Amino acid sequence: MYGRRASQLLKEIDSSEAGQLAPFNSDIFDQVIRECNEHNSQFQSLIRKIVEQNLNIETTRNEDHYGAAIHHLSLLRNKRCLMAYMYNRAEVIQSFRWKVGPVLPHDIQEKLHFSEKEYFKNHSAAIKSYISEMDIDLTVDMVPPKDPYIQVRVLEDIGEVSLGDHSVSLTKNSLHFLRRTDAEQFISQVFYLFLCDILLSLLAIFSGNNTMLNLL
Amino acid sequence: MSSWDDDESAAVSAAEAATTDVELLRRAWRNEKAAPEILRFDTPLVSRVREQIQLLEETLDDFADTGVDDLVVSLYQMDLDRTLFLLRSYLRLRLQKIEKYTMHISRSDDLLSRLSPQERRFARSCAEIMEKHLEQSVLSKLPYGYDSVTRQSLSSTEDDMVPEPQLDTFVFCKTKSDVGAFQLDDIGEEVVDLVADDLYVLRYKSIKGLVEGGRIDLI
Repeated sequence: MYGRRASQLLKEIDSSEAGQLAPFNSDIFDQVIRECNEHNSQFQSLIRKIVEQNLNIETTRNEDHYGAAIHHLSLLRNKRCLMAYMYNRAEVIQSFRWKVGPVLPHDIQEKLHFSEKEYFKNHSAAIKSYISEMDIDLTVDMVPPKDPYIQVRVLEDIGEVSLGDHSVSLTKNSLHFLRRTDAEQFISQVFYLFLCDILLSLLAIFSGNNTMLNLL
Repeated sequence: MSSWDDDESAAVSAAEAATTDVELLRRAWRNEKAAPEILRFDTPLVSRVREQIQLLEETLDDFADTGVDDLVVSLYQMDLDRTLFLLRSYLRLRLQKIEKYTMHISRSDDLLSRLSPQERRFARSCAEIMEKHLEQSVLSKLPYGYDSVTRQSLSSTEDDMVPEPQLDTFVFCKTKSDVGAFQLDDIGEEVVDLVADDLYVLRYKSIKGLVEGGRIDLI
């Protein structure tokens, strides 16, 4: 049936969890592109047939006309599906800039089409130039602040870090009580953990109740 | 710099002048968060808030030098953090809306005029990047006549492939003052009496004008 393959792409988008990205399905994608070109050549040959019979192309309503119409509409449907596939993936890729940072980890890179990689790079650059024009860093403070100080547990050796007037040694599994603004640069990678199951540098345990799940 | 308690009189328009800038920013942020489309950027408000943030940062530095009580410092720090978050979140929300409807916004002068100059530049490059991406991944491989980014095919008479925000969606809103009988549709079949300080769930499209005029708040 015409258009079935293209809808598989969208089902893939629909069934993947919000904010997650499946590997680019180049197999089906290329098949749908081929289908589009096949529809177009069928469409053109039916139109030629009508013209060769010296019939008026505007008013003729024979089997060739309806055949051509079906090929035309199937092509449109395929196009819409392909565009929606790319567009929806692009939206997820955009969100990575906020959640992961300007450099994508290897396992996400592998899932992308070459054009998508380029898109991410250009889009990050656009955000970066906006941020430098406004002179305010928008990539920190992703969640509403509750307390100026937070307790953090280090998940990965970071080493000696100088924070304002004193320096702290952030060794793995050590607990610290830091100013939120100081720890923020490391904590922004909290989102990272849930995206790609990689160890993050610092895990924030907000004093009292563990609000980490609430804010995700 | 701000009063965090919700003063009841703040809702009355007479007290509007006494409302702090942070309160105004919070209102703009809430409206932006709830509205399906992008709202007008309040340039003077944002620059006022940024000035105040800078002032507060300087005050905090002075405190550190003169050795003011830690508790007082942390209260000021908290106030600063909250305001900074509000500002960043507001700017981020707007960028995310621009990203989402980049093509729709970049082809409407009315929508473009609602953006700050920096946002306009961002919108322009976003639209270019998106078009380039779609062009090289999909459109360049499609047959002639079907390769437009905004139209389905040559036979389309208007742009029928641009994602637009859904203005019909329902929003929660709170009236600031009496609006009186308000017509929700074009034919006058649905009329609602909007009383001051009351909550409503209405279609965004029908109260769009009231939001823009600042007579109603989205929540």
